[in-house]
Amino acid sequence: MSPDAKTDAAKEGPRIMPFPVALHYESPAAPAVTRYAEALLDGKIIGQKCTGDCGLIYVPPKDLCPIDVIKLSIDDDVVLGDTGTVVNFTVVTPVQYPGQEETEPFARVSVALDGPGGMLQLQEVLDTPVSDVRVGMRVAAVWRPEAERNTEDLAAGGWSSTDGGIEGWMPTGEPDGDVAALQGKGY
Amino acid sequence: MPSVRSTEITETQMVLEVTTQAVAMAGIDRHDIGFTVSGSCDYLAGQTFAFVQTIEAIGAWPPISESHVEMDGAWAMYEGYTRLQEGDIDVVLVYCHGRSSPGKPEQIYPLQLDPYHLAPLGLDPWSLAALQARSLLDSGKATERDFAEIVARNRANAVGNEYAQVSGKFDVDALLAEPYVREPLRRHDLPPVSDSAAAVVLAAGDKAASLVDRPAWITGIDHRIDIHQPGMRDLTVSPSTVLAAEGAGLGSGPVQVAELSAPFSPQEVILRDALGLGDDVEVNLSGGALAANPVMVTGLVRVIEAARQVTEQGRDRVLAHATGGQALQQNLVCILEGSRA
Repeated sequence: MSPDAKTDAAKEGPRIMPFPVALHYESPAAPAVTRYAEALLDGKIIGQKCTGDCGLIYVPPKDLCPIDVIKLSIDDDVVLGDTGTVVNFTVVTPVQYPGQEETEPFARVSVALDGPGGMLQLQEVLDTPVSDVRVGMRVAAVWRPEAERNTEDLAAGGWSSTDGGIEGWMPTGEPDGDVAALQGKGY
Repeated sequence: MPSVRSTEITETQMVLEVTTQAVAMAGIDRHDIGFTVSGSCDYLAGQTFAFVQTIEAIGAWPPISESHVEMDGAWAMYEGYTRLQEGDIDVVLVYCHGRSSPGKPEQIYPLQLDPYHLAPLGLDPWSLAALQARSLLDSGKATERDFAEIVARNRANAVGNEYAQVSGKFDVDALLAEPYVREPLRRHDLPPVSDSAAAVVLAAGDKAASLVDRPAWITGIDHRIDIHQPGMRDLTVSPSTVLAAEGAGLGSGPVQVAELSAPFSPQEVILRDALGLGDDVEVNLSGGALAANPVMVTGLVRVIEAARQVTEQGRDRVLAHATGGQALQQNLVCILEGSRA
């Protein structure tokens, strides 16, 4: 390239070529995912209790325990509560990448479920200003009407593990829960 | 674990299966493991950071030292082997997993290629392998009958191998009567689509000797890579395999058995040539990659099958080969022996 052409090219900056890619994947849902999805359609959240030393409850079930490194099975499935306490949250300021639907900051919370236990992550809180979201807040699941439930997004490996079954969580107005007592019970 | 056309369980479940087995076979406690390293490819799973989920299968609490390569498990083993050279730990767990069933190879693999000139052409792996096969035929180094004989031998060797997916006795003339899929390749010249996982426990020196009666010792291991652009390569030769073999010390003695990662039958010709393997070397007693091709696992399976020749069949010196990239672009050679070098 001549010296003049090089200078011109430098002024122009690098050439950019768009390269849109779409990849299509299809895979059967693993047995644990299928059981969880069917329960969700039935209005229930199921988890799985480890039979080993850790005694943790995993939700959704994975048919294994990461802490004790053992297999779990359908025999270890357990129905969980659908009310709970917010034990952690993040306020996300959305970046406007292609496909982003959010425009305003939004919160995603971890909910420690009442009953046998289990902790759901990345849950949405409904009708609540982001500034009101706090650790300790008591919430209850808002289920979609049975006829409207579907688990397609869930099966597609979406971010939220309650997509298509639970719309989100509403504050109950109860006094805040005892978060200290929930230490070490989540995964 | 056995390769299958499509699994229903998650890769994490598959990894739990093979690592539990490997740990038990080695007779170690998980707490003996000083480093864990895995190989896989998120593009096969179709999910970013898909590999991270398998941490749940390997007892990572309390936290462990682990690593990952977006490559075949043979390269994860290379990293594990290198880690052992530090001398401060003596047990490494290597695992790998891959499900080829969910994706479409013709969509995924062109993304490995030059995005400006090649990927937009949709150069799928079968077509590229066919171009390589055509070059080989034109060079006079092989015939279509050679390809069919390679297929027949590999599939016959796979009979009785519980881990193989495709096996059987096939007549060479019957194979040659089949139609082309990508001329000059026929369906049987191509690898099956496979899902599987594998794990290996590496132990150093005295530790290895204390665990099992007859370990398979890695006495040499090396890997090299050729130019990325397939159009700039002579596809009938494999310089990176030649260099990797030199680096692994192949030249210092004969090998009795070789396990070669040749997912396309013509590639076995190229690899035998590059490695200088004579007719006295038994190739792919497992059935090779034509019997099962769980991408990201195939290479480590070759190491395992070669190692079994040492540990179970009393062989003294064997070779395992792994490949990555398109048309034998990147190659790893590992020499395993029955006695410590």
